[in-house]
Amino acid sequence: MLIQQNMDLKEKLAILADAAKYDVACTSSGVERKGRPEQLGSAVYAGLCHSFAADGRCISLLKILYTNQCVYDCKYCINRRSNDVPRAAFTPDEVCRLTMEFYRRNYIEGLFLSSGVLKSPDYTMDLLYQTLWKLRHECGFNGYIHVKAIPGADLILIERAGLLADRMSVNLELPTAEGLKKLAPSKDRSRILLPMRQIQRGIAAQRQGIVPYRREEKNVPYRWARQFVPAGQSTQLIVGATPENDYQMISVAEALYKNYDLKRVFYSAFVRVNDDSLLPALPGGPPLLREHRLYQADWLLRFYGFTSGELLSESQPNFNIFLDPKCDWALRHLDLFPVEVMTADYYTLLRVPGIGVRSAKRIAAARRSGRLDFADLKKMGVVLKRAFYFLTCGGRMMYPVRMDRDHITAQLLGEEKRRAWDIGQKDSYRQMSMFDDGFLNPAPTAEDRSAAILGQM
Amino acid sequence: MTIFTCADTFEGILCGVYDAWTSRLGHENVCLELADTGNLRLFAEYRQVEEDPKKAAKVIEAIRKKAGQEVYERVYRASLSCEEQKADRIYRFLIYALYIGPEVVNMLQIPAVYELFRMNRFVANEALHMIEFIRFSRTDGGILFGTVEPRNDVVALMAPHFADRMNAENWIIYDERRRRAVIHQAMGEWIEADLPDDSFRQRLMDSSDQEEFENLWKTYHKHIAIKERTNPRCQMSHLPLRFRPHMTEFQERRAHSGGRAPD
Repeated sequence: MLIQQNMDLKEKLAILADAAKYDVACTSSGVERKGRPEQLGSAVYAGLCHSFAADGRCISLLKILYTNQCVYDCKYCINRRSNDVPRAAFTPDEVCRLTMEFYRRNYIEGLFLSSGVLKSPDYTMDLLYQTLWKLRHECGFNGYIHVKAIPGADLILIERAGLLADRMSVNLELPTAEGLKKLAPSKDRSRILLPMRQIQRGIAAQRQGIVPYRREEKNVPYRWARQFVPAGQSTQLIVGATPENDYQMISVAEALYKNYDLKRVFYSAFVRVNDDSLLPALPGGPPLLREHRLYQADWLLRFYGFTSGELLSESQPNFNIFLDPKCDWALRHLDLFPVEVMTADYYTLLRVPGIGVRSAKRIAAARRSGRLDFADLKKMGVVLKRAFYFLTCGGRMMYPVRMDRDHITAQLLGEEKRRAWDIGQKDSYRQMSMFDDGFLNPAPTAEDRSAAILGQM
Repeated sequence: MTIFTCADTFEGILCGVYDAWTSRLGHENVCLELADTGNLRLFAEYRQVEEDPKKAAKVIEAIRKKAGQEVYERVYRASLSCEEQKADRIYRFLIYALYIGPEVVNMLQIPAVYELFRMNRFVANEALHMIEFIRFSRTDGGILFGTVEPRNDVVALMAPHFADRMNAENWIIYDERRRRAVIHQAMGEWIEADLPDDSFRQRLMDSSDQEEFENLWKTYHKHIAIKERTNPRCQMSHLPLRFRPHMTEFQERRAHSGGRAPD
């Protein structure tokens, strides 16, 4: 492992941002905190996105690794020990300076600090802790901090870092223990779940007021006392590196929400950065559509009152690539529809495709004072082209609709297919067709082209 | 039809509401318009609204008492809108609001309420976008200077956020379209001021030496994107092109006018 000693800050930033970008969690939400006099920073509950990168993902936090040196050799990871890539490490001062100066210019909402494992988990976690301490106490930074808990690190180090951070995360990476064993032989599922459980207990204890966590800082008013991980914890699952199906993924996510009180589970479409025989070849690029469907289902679990068993089952273990999970569910339960806008309760409204949390709340508030018709629903943000199959207003549907699964599916598909296509096959062109072939022929790949040229059809 | 023309300010519009309401001509026979909007209508009598803080205060009191703080805040935000009909829309909304009370904000099936809801949402969303996308540069003297070009007049909505967040900094948010700025002094209050002459801007930009961090930020912005996932359409829908001229990471080279490069 060779480090160039005289690397300047720009080179380091380039290397360590490159190394950090495959971690997807970049939200700054979950905690509302006012500014403090003489300090820099505040936090907004809903989070703020300060920019968007060329891949369309938001940039909310300065997402960097402390170092990309690592003692582990996880197959999927660009920073694994056996890769020959340039290595670098920040110093705590450099991280503080970058964070403060970027924050002041409103480039970022805070810091997301992760790291490869340098020497040992304890050593690494201590470096992260020292950096955070400096940032909070010497620089007076009061903005958002997301820090990784390094599995295997001493519990006291994790607890102390948690008192300085807003959110902590431990990446589960692969949903099953077998997958983890195969691709990350030096990691162990139980060692990942241990800090997760510890953080959960710390948050719960604080919520119930059992632990006097607040004596970290002296001479500070009570309302400014630091809390333990106030924005909750999150984790990440890699999609498509191992053969787990969607049902397994979503069940794991549901269990994490239920048993570990996680705020978020993030899904990261697998990008093949290493050539390794154990990794799947992905000729079509990262499985973006699958990742998208998992996020849709994740929202259904957290905000719409669905359970994983309703969305998928052993017999139907993967999401429909043509229909979003909610439409798919509604079409399998046509006996529950149509529902009446004026009388259906909030949770029933939420289950109608085309109605989201906001529009359902608006409907519930507006209908108290008078009748609604379809034009009103449109104003409230209901996507009528999907919703009208499943709704009545004042006892009438918008158009006469045959409540037949195949019929409605065919109608919905036209629109959905186009959107699914855009996600799965972006930047490819579509041959206009006189016949409805579903527009599902993928663009020719490089191999197809060479085969066509060489006549190997 | 009697048309009351009022100034394009919160107080001006409220004075218009007061005059139109107390004219006793009937709601359907009056209309509010902003002064200097161009076209005059035939068969209409124009009346100039005289601004008087007392009139505005009376309307504010009536709104707060009968419809509550939430409605008052919404009316204020709607008055910052860039739409030409905003004065009349606020008037039509207040007819319902003062009659129904705080519940009115939920009654989106009433067209007048929906119009106000829509204006309020546009203004609030744009204020949030500006809070997210404004970029400051730092001058030698330690002043942070940021330029925005919002459609609606939202700088006053941005100020409390930054006054709380960066209370120990001197900063200026400059609205290039309206030539107005919010100025904050470290550990002090913020004020809103008209700045018709923008020569101060050149002086501020000349003295800033922040190329280092602007370059670092550009480097970071470039490297954080995953090449395999490149998706300009997704980026465009989250961050429309109209915001980009003032954002450091999308400026090709350092532009001295703060936003766009000089011609």
